[in-house]
This record gives sequence, structure tokens and C-alpha cells, in this order.
Amino acid sequence: MKSRRSRNKFLPALVAAITALIVLSACGGKSETPPAASGSGGGSNAGTSGKTLNLLTWEGYADPKFIKGFEDKFGVKVTATYFGSSDELVAKLKGGGGDTFDVISPSSDVAAYLLHEGLVAPINLDHVPNYANLASKLKDMKDVQQDGKVYGVPFTWGPDSLIYDADVIKTPPDSWNVFWDPQYKGKVSIWDDISNIYLIGQMMGLDATDQSKVYNMTEDQLQEAKKKLIELKPQIRKYWASGGELNDLFSNKEVVLAVGWPLTPTTVNASGRNLQETIPKEGITGWIDRLMIVNASKNKELAETYINYVTDEQVMKLVADATGYGVANLNAAKHMSAEQAKAIHIDDMENYMKKVNFWQEVKDRNRYNEIWNEVKAQ
Amino acid sequence: MQDEAALAINKNERPTARRQRAWNPRLLILLIPPIIWLSIFLFAPYAVLFINSFWKVDFGSIVHEFTWGNYTKFFTNSLYYGTFLKTLKIAAWVTVFSILLSYPLAYFINFKIKKNKQLFYTLVIIPLWVSYLVRAYAWKIVLGQDGILNNVLLAVGLIDHPMEIFLYSQYAVVLALTHIYTPWVLMSIYTSLEHIPRDVLEASKDLGAGRFRTFFRVVLPLSLPGLIAGATFAFVLTMGDFLAPQLLGGTSSMMVSNVVYSLFGVANNWPLGSTIGILTLFVVLGILQLTHRLEHRTTSFEAGTRGR
Repeated sequence: MKSRRSRNKFLPALVAAITALIVLSACGGKSETPPAASGSGGGSNAGTSGKTLNLLTWEGYADPKFIKGFEDKFGVKVTATYFGSSDELVAKLKGGGGDTFDVISPSSDVAAYLLHEGLVAPINLDHVPNYANLASKLKDMKDVQQDGKVYGVPFTWGPDSLIYDADVIKTPPDSWNVFWDPQYKGKVSIWDDISNIYLIGQMMGLDATDQSKVYNMTEDQLQEAKKKLIELKPQIRKYWASGGELNDLFSNKEVVLAVGWPLTPTTVNASGRNLQETIPKEGITGWIDRLMIVNASKNKELAETYINYVTDEQVMKLVADATGYGVANLNAAKHMSAEQAKAIHIDDMENYMKKVNFWQEVKDRNRYNEIWNEVKAQ
Repeated sequence: MQDEAALAINKNERPTARRQRAWNPRLLILLIPPIIWLSIFLFAPYAVLFINSFWKVDFGSIVHEFTWGNYTKFFTNSLYYGTFLKTLKIAAWVTVFSILLSYPLAYFINFKIKKNKQLFYTLVIIPLWVSYLVRAYAWKIVLGQDGILNNVLLAVGLIDHPMEIFLYSQYAVVLALTHIYTPWVLMSIYTSLEHIPRDVLEASKDLGAGRFRTFFRVVLPLSLPGLIAGATFAFVLTMGDFLAPQLLGGTSSMMVSNVVYSLFGVANNWPLGSTIGILTLFVVLGILQLTHRLEHRTTSFEAGTRGR
């Protein structure tokens, strides 16, 4: 009796479902076309007051220390959305968020990809006079240039170094193998990101002759890296998903060793702790972040104004204060103490950069992501 | 739901009324708004998901080319089916613990408390007003190495160094989810207990059944529909959870929703993510059908216990 009644209820539902299916198979196909090519118009008048500029950036890149000055000077409002990994940035842009954001800060591993996918717009350097003052080593990178046009303005760069709690570990570890040391079981944190695979690649010595090898590992090498990462699992307290989470893990004394960015010591040491960074003998990877303008942005000129503002030498000093990262405008050193310039390595940039394997585009990113998920699911 | 309520009111004239209503155009008009609503917000997204699950991905872009590949991948790569099975296991644990916690409490509030019954009930419900996120973060404070639990245990002398196992482990995930879904299970059980007529209990005692016998032969069977409804709730919601493993889980606590999140939000592989979504949907529908039937089979009283 009852089951018969409930079956009757399903009939209209079924009809509706089929109708919806038919209607949506039509628009379902359309919705995935990339939100490209709508650019070039918009934002033509210079009256910026009252506008909102939307950033999609790494944590630390919208710090009030330097954003506030821009807001006050131009009478605009800056909002920021953070992404926790390069892949998240790409997914956000491709997944229909294209016209929500104006300025993005991709790292060197996906910048070229965004350019090829037509997701970013060329930057009119006439509106960015500070570009002339940026480190030529960073400007010379061809991956964000196409047909003589520049698509990315260098902003910051830095390492994924080994961070340790110097109150617990007295001598700086000289090898990444310290992560596998049973003494630190459950005291290690690594990033929830495929960059761990690059790191293992370095430990395997793949980048001894050719830096790009760790970004194009063979299936066998990936399997070996997976094995190594699975062996590391008992040592790991937590895979950190955002810089803020790593800061908390150190602050709450949950971990003593981690791979991370200078942002973490900068932030955590401000509350009286003693975190240190070091470069182990196997080397480290690093990243170069460029500011780019989203192709579908309606505020392109305001975006250029912003990019010019934050690459100014005085503002770049504030960026270094907030993040602890190397900044692209070397003149910023003029406004810093000698220690600060040394800490962010802009006093000796060329030499320091030689020690770092900067992220490159990974051709088979899907496979890298899958390997990393397999490690986590193990 | 509405349908059901309407039927209950017209119970006496049910057979004829039903036939007439099926062809009454005015009632069809009433159905139009919910149908539109459901089509746009429920069926359409599922349809899109379903279609998506047959496309494939090349270098981060969706290629509109029919393939079964995503489904094969799900069933051949342990990352996907393994995580799914683990999710079922976690959901089962959460369900069991939620029932074990909420049944005695519901029983106590319903039968043992004479005064202020409503107050006690409200006290149980209040946590529902606190955001999920806040509650998850609260567990971090309680379970962390420098947290309340470790400090208490250290002070009492039960342990000599802080335990790591409490936080960032599967236990933390099960604990937090149990905490979050227990009130729901409790509400459902409480309602079904509330509907058990007191004279039935008295009759049982008059006929010589002891306390335990009355419970196992009378109270428990009569509250089964509520128990099943609550258990379904906890199970299905746990299956879809991804925040608890993200915030409190350790290195191996990924659940199926975390995989889906990662496929949509990180790997940009919508088709495979959709595939897992569709398969999860089917499993959940299966569970709902099953428990729906169980509920009806266990309903012995025409009055009361049917509802939630």
C-alpha cells in the first residue's frame, strides 16, 4: 500500500528530471567555454575613485601595510581572495571566476600556462613606469612574454626552504633527510601541494644537471617519489593547506620542522619565537611571482595603476616587511636596514638565486596531482 | 511531504479522493512552483553533473568527447574506490557513536525527566546554533598538543608527555562528526520516543515484563523508525563531509568529498569529480531507499511514529 503510493510520487519527479536534462544538455555544453576574449574594452576612463579592485593572490600579498596606502591615494577599495596552491588559482580562473578578479599573482609554474590559455591580458607598460626599475634577471624571463608584449610584472620571489624551530633543533639541519628522522616523528609538516614531488626529485638528484628534470619526471621516478612520500607519512603531523595554517602549527608547537615560505618565520617570530630557514645540501625549490591582469577584467587600467604602485621602491619595502620575500625592485634596499636586505637576499640576489631551482611549468600536472592524492589516500 | 500530510488529513476517504486528485488540474497548478524550483536547483545541477561525468580532460581543459574512462578509473584506482570505502567506514562509525550517545540521552529526557523537559531538549539542540566551523576549530583547542585535554591528562598524571594522537587523526574526525550529528540523531529518536503512548508501557509492566524486557520488546521496537531516520541522517551527512577531515584529519584522513574537492578545486578535472559525485549520489539514494523501507516495515503504530 505504502510503497505503491511512494512510487506514484516519483513520476512527476522523473518527468521533471528528464525535462531538465534535455534543457540543460543544451546550455551545459556552453558553460565550459573559457571566459576569454571579452577583454580590451572597459576601464577606459581614468577616474578610479569609488571603484573596487579584486585581487586573487597568495597569502600576504594583500597586507594592509601596503594596500592601505593604495586605497587612500586612489580612493578605491581593494578586496582579496587567497588561493592555497597554483592549481587552485588555475581552477578558480577556469571554473568561471574569470571576470570576478582583476589582478592575480601566479608563480612561475603556471604563469606560462595562463598565458597560453588566453586567461591573462598584455600589460601596457606605459602605465607601469616602475617596470624600468625592476631586477633585469626577473624581467628577462621569457615565459610571460609573447609577440613582444609583456603579460607579467615581477613582484616577489622566494624559496621553499626548510624551516625549523631553533629552540628545539639547535644545529641547522643540512639535509632534507632530517624529515625522515624518527626523532621528529609527528613533528613535521609539508605543504598539501604537488611541489613535494619536486622536492623528492631534488633529493633523488634529478636536477643536478638539468633543473627542468624535476618538473618532467618519468612514471618510474614519480612512483619512486610516491614511495618516499608515503614513507614520510608517519612523520607528518599535518599537511598544511595555507601559510596561515603552517603559522598556527608552529605557534601551537605542533611541529618543529617544515617546508615553507619566509612568510612563516616573519609572522611567527614576531611573537617572540625563533624559527630559522636553511638550504639543505640537496637544494631547494623556489618561486617567482609575477602580477598579471585577468583577461576578462573590467578594471584593466586600475589594475595597471595598482601594479605600478606596488612595484614602487618604497612600497616594495613594505611588501618585504609584510612577507619576508625577496622583492623585484632592488632599489627597495635603499629604504631597508642592511639586515633586512640580507634576510630577503636582495643584497646578493644573483648568487642566492643560483642555489634555488625555480618552479617551471609541469607538462603532466594532472598526473602529478594524482600521485599526490594517492599519497594522501594511502 | 506535503502529499503525505494531505493524505493523513483525508485518511477516511482516501481511496476515492486519491483517484480524483490525480486528475484535478487545479492541484497540478499548485505543483508547478515546486517543480520549477526542484528542476532549477536540484535536477538541473545533477543533470549537468551527469553529463560532465562522460567528458574527458586534456591538459586542464574539458574535451567534449564521450568516454567511460572516468568510471573505469574510479573502479580501478584505489585512490578513488578505496577512499570511497573508507568514507563508508567512517560514516558507519559516526552513525554508531551518534546512536550510542543520543539514544540513552533521548530516553532519559523523555521518560525520566518530569519537570523542564523542554529545557533539557533545548540544551541539546543549542549546539546546532553554533556554526560548524566554530565547533571544528573548538576541537583543535581541546585536542591539540598544548590543548585542554592534554593539559588535564598531564595534570592528573595519566600521561607524561602530550599525546599527538588526539588531533590530526582519524579519531579526531570521527569525534568531531559524532559531536556535530548527535543532536540530529537525538531529535529524531526523541520524537519517536515521545509518540509512544504511556499506557503501552504500563500494559507491558502489568503483564509482568521487567524493565529490560519492556525496553527491548516494547520501547526499542517502537522507536526504531526514529532511530533509523536519525542514523540515515548521520550516515548520509557524514558521507558528504569534507571540512572535518580537512581541519582535523591527519595525513590519511581524506574522505571522498575531499577527493571531489581536489578534483574540482585543484586538479581542474571536473569530469572525474562529477563521476564520483554521481556514484556517491546513487549510493546515497540506495541507502535512502533502503532505510525508507526499513522505517515503514518497523512502523507498528498507525499513529505517530511515522513522522520525524
